[in-house]
Amino acid sequence: MSQATTSEPDGVARLLPEISYRRLGLYFLILAFVAFFVSPIYTGLVTSLKAGGAATTPFLPPTLDNFTLANWGQAFDQLSRGFVNSFAMAIPATLLDVILGSTAAYGLTLVDWRRQMPVVLLFVFGIFLPYQAILVPLSDFWTNMLPLTEGLIIEGITILPASDRWGSLAELTITHVAYGIPICFLLFRSYYKTISKELVEAAKVDGASITKIYTRIVLPLSKPMIGVVLIYQFTQIWNEFLFSLTLIGSSSDQAATITLILSGIGADLSGVNFPLRMAAAFLAALPTIVIYVLFAEQFAEGIAT
Amino acid sequence: MANVILDGVTKKFQDKSGEIIAVDDLDLNIRDGEFLVLVGPSGCGKSTTLRMVAGLEMPTEGTISLDDKLITNLSPQERDVAMVFQSYALYPHMTVRGNMSFGLEEATELSKEEIRERVEDAAEMLGIYDLLDRKPGELSGGQQQRVALGRAIVREPEAFLLDEPLANLDAKLRSEMRTELQHLQEDLDTTTIYVTHDQTEAMTMSDRIAVLNDGELQQVGTPLECYHRPNNQFVAGFIGDPSMNFLDVTLEDGRLVGEYFEYPLSDEVLANIEGHDELVFGIRPEDIEILDAAESRHEYPATVDVVEPMGDENTVHLAFEEQERTESALTSTISGMRNVDELESIGIGLPESAIHLFDAETGESLHNRSLGEIEGDRPLKGAQPA
Repeated sequence: MSQATTSEPDGVARLLPEISYRRLGLYFLILAFVAFFVSPIYTGLVTSLKAGGAATTPFLPPTLDNFTLANWGQAFDQLSRGFVNSFAMAIPATLLDVILGSTAAYGLTLVDWRRQMPVVLLFVFGIFLPYQAILVPLSDFWTNMLPLTEGLIIEGITILPASDRWGSLAELTITHVAYGIPICFLLFRSYYKTISKELVEAAKVDGASITKIYTRIVLPLSKPMIGVVLIYQFTQIWNEFLFSLTLIGSSSDQAATITLILSGIGADLSGVNFPLRMAAAFLAALPTIVIYVLFAEQFAEGIAT
Repeated sequence: MANVILDGVTKKFQDKSGEIIAVDDLDLNIRDGEFLVLVGPSGCGKSTTLRMVAGLEMPTEGTISLDDKLITNLSPQERDVAMVFQSYALYPHMTVRGNMSFGLEEATELSKEEIRERVEDAAEMLGIYDLLDRKPGELSGGQQQRVALGRAIVREPEAFLLDEPLANLDAKLRSEMRTELQHLQEDLDTTTIYVTHDQTEAMTMSDRIAVLNDGELQQVGTPLECYHRPNNQFVAGFIGDPSMNFLDVTLEDGRLVGEYFEYPLSDEVLANIEGHDELVFGIRPEDIEILDAAESRHEYPATVDVVEPMGDENTVHLAFEEQERTESALTSTISGMRNVDELESIGIGLPESAIHLFDAETGESLHNRSLGEIEGDRPLKGAQPA
């Protein structure tokens, strides 16, 4: 038997853990990144809790004297209409995008018919349409060709009563749905391509119709991708500003979405109320964070595939 | 249960380089309750044929019918057939019960109670009753295989279509499942088309074998017919393991002349090959006799090249005496108890009753082995004319 040999360092060096400089550098870099990303959130949070308009010392936490939650309350009051409007628009738009995107992808990926490719290309083309290029025709369409603000009555049945607020939001919702379908389609299509063709064939031989194959086989298997698309599309629509600005216009409009109101909050002739703006920004970002937390599991699974 | 009749079925695929004929003018009549194995090398069109019967591919020409009902252009949903896929294709989000009842829910009007009963009966028969509430991901390969079979059985279809169902199992499980499948098919008595590239599966399981190559049907017959009376050189080489030995020969003065041997023929055999000079001489490994020395007609001196002991038998690779030892000419199987050493000089006997002769150009079989010694009073099992 030979004895195991160890080379133990002498003196002080023995007391210190072995440090590799490489590792040290890595930790330092990570720390720098953390500081880079956390500092704006930190300063925003700290500022939102301070009384008084000016933000002179952004990095210092509020003292006992000027600590207040009034900004948050005030921000919530001013944003509440925007919250209602944005939810009323973003939730149906997101759900419709998920449904339409996945059915379109199913029809163009797992169902066989001739000349699919041109249709697929049309969808892909939709992704690259720049917002700026369609703004003018878009507002023209909703003002002159199909003004939903005047209500929508088909064959005597009132589908949408005349209302400036809800009409505008309906226009915005439909716009978002139309603009979101291509990217949702592509995400679902790439996912459906990984589903084994034999699975669909087995269902066919089992006697299931095309719709049944979708509802009973493909849709349940899409869960991870539905998570991804829900998070992605909700965040996109919630944070979107340009369509709101084009179709609704001003933050004082009854239909103003949260991003429109946020853009004008805390700014008046007397200057900018930074604490109020910060509190409002946090409140406006809250729903997207909640969505991430709710669907994080599916999201991670969906990204991995 | 029904006859499956394929009449002049042709399938062409369009490719960048042009047209590929996957299946060429295939006529097959699978009888009611028969177990037919479609066998051939990969790419021979056997899977395409099966998929056409299932309705997953449409034939370019020809017709397919179940009894009198023409099903050529029906969708898979409209045909009463069940299929087992090589990958099993179990629905991963459903339990075993869900997988097995899916087809009944979609294709039949059965009540929930009846479906439950059928599924449980089939599960019991396959020994997967305890697994009914598990998901496919929690099952072993063999168990998934049973579920896939169960999914087909509960449908009680006109025909079962099985696409290499045992290919993903390990060797031991495969031979177990082979026997089990045979029992199952006998019990259910349902017309079955079974696709495989494995000639052992074809030989052991089938009532009849259909051998395909390059999209063309080579032979349909019982396993032993294909083994002993091959239509051509392809079938002779494909069926049997180790495969038949082939040597190129020419006919000169009533003798076959090969590179290393000469083989005088009897008048009887000569009559069969009349008009053909370029031939292929074939003999099965088990028909080669290993002798101490070459002494009489049809016996030749040879050297043992490599011996592969299998336990029950030895596979011996042999070379003719004059031949370079780097290429062995013949493979022979002998009893496992018999000992031969590598490099040993021996004699080999190639009995005339066991030889096959093929046309070198067309591969067509001109003379097949005589079955006298096997047949005796009893005819070869299942060898009645088709």
